Amino acid sequence: MLKAGKFGLGISRSYTAKAKRVVLAQDKSKIKEYTPKTTDSHENRVYVWGFQETGALGLQTNVKKAKERYTEMVHHPTRLQFSNNNDITDVAAGYGFTAYAVKRDDGETLFGSGLNTDSQLGFQVKGNPKDPANLDVIIYPTAIKLPRVQGESDEDMQVKSMSAGRAHLVILTKNGTIFTLGNNSYGQCGRSIIEEERYSKSALIHRIPQADICGKDDEIVQVECGQDHSMFLTKTGRIHTCGWGADGQTGQGNYHTAGQITLIGGDIEKEKIVRLSCSSDCVLALNEAGDAFGWGNSEYGQLDDSEHAQTQINTPRALKLTKSIGKIKDVAAGGSFCMALNDQGLVYTWGFGILGFGPFVEQTSKPQHLLPPLFGRNDFSNATSVVSIGCGVFHMGAVNSDGDLFMWGKNRFGHLGLGHKKDQFFPFKAAINGKVTKVAYGVDHTIALCKAYF
Amino acid sequence: MEITLALIKPHVLRNTYAMQQIRALIAQNFTVLDQKEVCITKELSEQFYAEHQGKFFYHRLTSFMNSGPCYALILQSEACIQKWRGLLGPTKVFRAVYSDPNCIRALYGLSDTRNACHGSDSEASALREISILFPEFNVAVANRQAKKDTPFNVVLPAEIAATYS
Repeated sequence: MLKAGKFGLGISRSYTAKAKRVVLAQDKSKIKEYTPKTTDSHENRVYVWGFQETGALGLQTNVKKAKERYTEMVHHPTRLQFSNNNDITDVAAGYGFTAYAVKRDDGETLFGSGLNTDSQLGFQVKGNPKDPANLDVIIYPTAIKLPRVQGESDEDMQVKSMSAGRAHLVILTKNGTIFTLGNNSYGQCGRSIIEEERYSKSALIHRIPQADICGKDDEIVQVECGQDHSMFLTKTGRIHTCGWGADGQTGQGNYHTAGQITLIGGDIEKEKIVRLSCSSDCVLALNEAGDAFGWGNSEYGQLDDSEHAQTQINTPRALKLTKSIGKIKDVAAGGSFCMALNDQGLVYTWGFGILGFGPFVEQTSKPQHLLPPLFGRNDFSNATSVVSIGCGVFHMGAVNSDGDLFMWGKNRFGHLGLGHKKDQFFPFKAAINGKVTKVAYGVDHTIALCKAYF
Repeated sequence: MEITLALIKPHVLRNTYAMQQIRALIAQNFTVLDQKEVCITKELSEQFYAEHQGKFFYHRLTSFMNSGPCYALILQSEACIQKWRGLLGPTKVFRAVYSDPNCIRALYGLSDTRNACHGSDSEASALREISILFPEFNVAVANRQAKKDTPFNVVLPAEIAATYS
């Protein structure tokens, strides 16, 4: 009782003399220092989620096991096994397929998984080489062999930029060569349209040297695909386009369909464009000074809200809608909505859909910003702000300075990665075990390129 | 019994999973009288969509239809036209995904033009559209056969069916 009074509630620990001797006599040098076992030495890791029936997630390794699974979608961000064994540097998502840019010892630089019905992932066959069976669906990332000319090294073939459309894939390599694969029925592969061409089982990979597009003095820095058209952005800020122009999305001043890659003008003629974004038929571009430009589909008032606004804009024009939001750092164009990020780190959305402002599907042509606390800013992390934005055809996302990814919008086949199938009406953090560096937004799946926390 | 024309648009025909789902839905709800893969040329689509001529999306629609092979089916059931259009959902995909999230267009449509499938809007246009895509099809004969109640199965194009075998 006396002891208890002395030490308050009596929560003291006493050792027997023998135990004390054992503890004190421990040889510290014999205690093993614990170092966590790293199973993955690669810097980048990839998380995937959304619709997996098309194979776009590349998670299945075995056709038999693939048939036994009982869900058609992956609700939570899931680590891609392929990224454990490969150094993935870039990802691109199309409709039901994914492309991975990879650094490897064996010289392969490009892999793909998912739908391959238009040979958008190259000529992939299995079985007897004499009588090969074509693969329409690829369930695990498979090498896409880019055709080289003599003297091109592995380093030359590293991917600098890539983008995927509905059924085509455009690759820009380090040495400035453009490769296009897949459907060319609108000339989106940058070659002339061949009537009744069969794209299935096609081994054709079209090769375009960048000098053919922008001349010898310029170089291409970014490729961007809409669903059925392709755009090429050069170092000096020029844009060249090809493909389907029925909504004016090629910006060539007409509604034609063209396999010929053409330099476009309009309001961007004298501007230095630094960023280009498109996921469907509406295109947004950003110049060095932070002004936004747009063309293509504007049926939901994304590009113009004037009384006699056109619904299809075939020439790039400076946007009046975004004048009030200050200097813009990043833009993203979805199917029926647009997004912009200004230099204050505020995310603006407008158009039609779930814009992030609460439990309604809205239509507005006035850009409004989402509050910073929705993207992780609070009393303990005052400086947290959004650093990049992006969107798919139906969903939007933003990455903040802590590397957290927030998603909202239509939850098509679980591609928001929130663990459920319900639509998300305001930005919500996706549970990813890593710092997100790049996100590829597909039509019904999403891929995030991440760095480890430590 | 009523008949209608269902036309599966090029982008869905290339999505093997979507085809499988739509095929199952059709087999559950309708009798298929005839079916084939068709290449809708510019001329054919202009004829097919003559009613939309002059609308802003006319050029977009007709050029979309010839981007690849389509799959056409003649469906038969009670109140077939309404039933098929009900399964399809609203024409505009961007609206359908919110107003009617489980319809075919919300699930497999990609944009207002790439809206997965077409369905005739009335008995008259069903007959007109069928006569364009199936000139050899005889409605009277089909009705007689239907009375015998022969079940038809939906058969996929060989190259797509091979993926599931």
